[in-house]
Amino acid sequence: MYISDQIRRAGRSLRSAKARTLLTALAIAVGAFALTLTLAASNGAQSFVNNIISENFDPAELIVVADKNVISGGGGAEPTEYSGNFGSSLSNGGAITQIKRLTDSDIEKIKNIYGVESVREDIAVNLQYITRPEQKKYVATMQSFSPFLKPELAAGDIPRPLTGKQVLLPEGYISSLGFSSAQAAIGQTITVAVKKPTTIPTTPQTLAQSAVQSADDSVLEEFTIVAVTKKASTSQPGTELYLYTSQDAARALNDITTEGTDNFRAYTSIYVKVEDGENEDKLNAVQTEIEKHGYFAQSVKETQEFLTQIIDVLQGIVVAFGLIAIVASIFGIVNTMYISVIQRTREIGLMKALGMRKRDIGRLFRFEAAWIGLLGGVIGAGIAIGLGTALNPWITKQLNLGDGNKLLIFDPIQIGALVLILVVVAIFAGWLPSRKAAKLDPIEALRTE
Amino acid sequence: MIKVIDVTKTYGKGESLFTALYKVSTEIPAGASVAIIGKSGSGKSTLMHIMSGLDRPSDGEVIVNGKSLVGLKPKQVDAFRSSEMSFIFQAFFIEANQTCYQNVLLPLEIAKVGRRDRRKHVLEALRAVDLEDKVDSLAGNLSGGQKQRLAIARAIVNNPKLLFADEPTGNLDSATGDIIIDLLFKLNRERKITLVIVTHDLELAQKTDIQIYLKDGEIEKTVAKKRQHRTSPNSSKKVVRMV
Ligand SMILES: Nc1ncnc2c1ncn2[C@@H]1O[C@H](COP(=O)(O)OP(=O)(O)OP(=O)(O)O)[C@@H](O)[C@H]1O
Ligand SMILES: [Mg+2]
Repeated sequence: MYISDQIRRAGRSLRSAKARTLLTALAIAVGAFALTLTLAASNGAQSFVNNIISENFDPAELIVVADKNVISGGGGAEPTEYSGNFGSSLSNGGAITQIKRLTDSDIEKIKNIYGVESVREDIAVNLQYITRPEQKKYVATMQSFSPFLKPELAAGDIPRPLTGKQVLLPEGYISSLGFSSAQAAIGQTITVAVKKPTTIPTTPQTLAQSAVQSADDSVLEEFTIVAVTKKASTSQPGTELYLYTSQDAARALNDITTEGTDNFRAYTSIYVKVEDGENEDKLNAVQTEIEKHGYFAQSVKETQEFLTQIIDVLQGIVVAFGLIAIVASIFGIVNTMYISVIQRTREIGLMKALGMRKRDIGRLFRFEAAWIGLLGGVIGAGIAIGLGTALNPWITKQLNLGDGNKLLIFDPIQIGALVLILVVVAIFAGWLPSRKAAKLDPIEALRTE
Repeated sequence: MIKVIDVTKTYGKGESLFTALYKVSTEIPAGASVAIIGKSGSGKSTLMHIMSGLDRPSDGEVIVNGKSLVGLKPKQVDAFRSSEMSFIFQAFFIEANQTCYQNVLLPLEIAKVGRRDRRKHVLEALRAVDLEDKVDSLAGNLSGGQKQRLAIARAIVNNPKLLFADEPTGNLDSATGDIIIDLLFKLNRERKITLVIVTHDLELAQKTDIQIYLKDGEIEKTVAKKRQHRTSPNSSKKVVRMV
C-alpha cells in the first residue's frame, strides 16, 4: 500500500470514531497548549531582556566593580571581612552593608590597561529636590548620561556629548514643574538642590541648632533643559523618572553630597569602554586583564545571561508540567489505539486476507496515532496562539511593558517543531498497539462475528 | 490450478492435539467451479484457508499455479494473494462507515494499482454486481444482499484468478442467496475465475463442476461432472476422480 493511501485510510478510520479521537487528542492538546504558551512567554521575556540590555548598555562596555557581590546578585557565599576603608551603602551610618568601592586611583589603574578607551563612573545622585520659581519641590534622582543611550524624546535634542549643566528631563515632570508642554520646557532652567552630608556632631547640640545647620547644607544649582525624555518601555526598571546630565555635572553633584565621607570619589561600579569592544575577543582580553588587577568585570552579554538564567528556570518549571501532560497523554494514545485495534480486528483480518503486508498494517495504525498527535498538537497550539494573540495587548498593559513589547511571542518554527515532536511522541505511543495489529492472525480475526 | 497433496492440519499439542485435516489430497483445475461440502467442524474452512495461503498446513504441499505456497515467505504469500486471489465471507466483512467506492478500492490500494486506473476499475466492478448507483453510498446502509454484492465487487476488482467464497449465502434468504450464487457462476463462466465455494447447501453444490465432500477432516468423496455449458476449450482435460 502506498504511504499516501495509508495516511488517508488512517485519517478516515479516525473520523469514524470522532469522539474517541478528539478526547485522546485533547490530552495531548493540554500539553501542547502549556508548551506553546511557555515557549511564547520565554520568547517574550527574552526579547524584553534583550531590548532593555541593547537600549541601556553599550556592548563595547564592561561593568567593572571592586566588590563581586554587586554584579553576582545577592550576598556572597563567603563572609566579607570588615575593613575601615570600605564605604557603605548608608552614606555615613555604620557598616550595615559594606561594599568595596572603586576610587580615583583604581580608575587611573584601569584607564592605563591596554585596550581601554575610556572610563565612565556610574553616578546616580539622590537630589534633595528639584524645583522652579513659584513651583513645588519634587524629589528626584540624577544620573550620569551614558553616551550610548538613545532615549525617545518628547521634545528637544540631545547634544552629543552632553556637557556641563545640561539636563534631560523626564516627561513626567513637565506639568508638575508648571510647563505648558514639553516643547515649552526646552531651554528653560530648573533648580537642583543637593544636600551636603550631615557630619556627626562632636559636641552636644540642640535640636534647633541641628535643623538650622542642615538647612544651610543645601547647595542649589541651575540646570538647563535640553531635551524631554519619554517614558521608554525598555528603560531599566526604576529609572523612568531619572534626570540625566553630563558626566562632569553628575560628578560635581556627587562630590558635594559625599564630601568628607567614605563615599567621596568612591564608586560602586564604573563603565569601561573597550576599544573595538564589539569584537568579543578584544572585550574578553580587556576583561581578563581587569580581573588580573583584582577587580570584577562583567560584559553586557554576561549580564544578559544572568537575567536570562532566571527566565530559564521559570520556563523549565512550566515546560516540566507540559511534559508531564504529554507523558500522561501517551497512555491515552496507547489505550485508544488498543481499542481501535480490537474494534477493527475483522478489518485487519480482511486486509491481511487480501494480501496486505504485516509492515503496512503496522504502519497504518502508526499513522493513525500520528494523526492523533497532529490533531492534539494543532488544537493545543492553535488555542494557545488564539488566546495569546487576543490577550497580548491586555497583558502588555497589565504588566506595564510599554507599547511594542509583547509578553507572548509565537515563533512559527518553534511551534512547528513542537507539533512535529508531538507527532513523533504519538507514533511512539502507537508502537505497541500497531505491533499487535500487525501480528494479528487473519484466520482468528475473520472468525470474530 | 490448485494442487493439494497430503495436507494435514493439527491444532494444539499432546493431550489436546486435534487433527482438523488428515492427509487431504485434491486438485482443482483452472477455471473450474468447486464446492467443498461437509458438516460443521468437518474442516471446510480450514482447507480453504490452506489452499489460499492464509494458513499453513502442518504437513503436506499446496501448489497454486505451479508455485508451492508452503515454501514461500509470508511477504511473498501476501503478494501472491493480493494479485491472484480473493475472498467472500459469510459475514460480508465490509466497512459499514465507508462508502461503497472506498470498500471496493481496498484491494487496489493493497496491490498498489496506479491512482489513475483506480476509479475505472472500481466502477467496472460495481457495474458487474449492479451497484453502480450506490458508488458513494455508505456501505452500512445497504441491504444484506447488496452488502454481499459489494463484497463480490471488492473481490473481483483486481481481476483475481481465484475466488474463495466461505458460505457466501449463509446470512441471506434463499431468493437473495440465489442471486449471489448466479452472480458467482456468471463470473466463473465469463471471467474464467476459478471458484471455490465452501457450503453445506447440497443444492448449491450440485451446480459446481467438482464437489469435494469432507468428513471429520478427511475427504469422503470427490464428485466431478462435465459441465453442460462449458465454454472453456480445455474442459475435456479435466480429471474425474471418485474416492
Ligand atoms: N485455532 C484452532 N484451534 C483449535 N481447533 C481449531 C482451530 N481452528 C479450527 N479448529 C477446529 O478444526 C475443526 C475444523 O474447523 P473449520 O472451521 O474448518 O470447520 P468448518 O467445516 O468450516 O465448520 P463450519 O461449517 O462450522 O464453518 C473444528 O473442529 C474446529 O473446532
Ligand atoms: Mg467454516
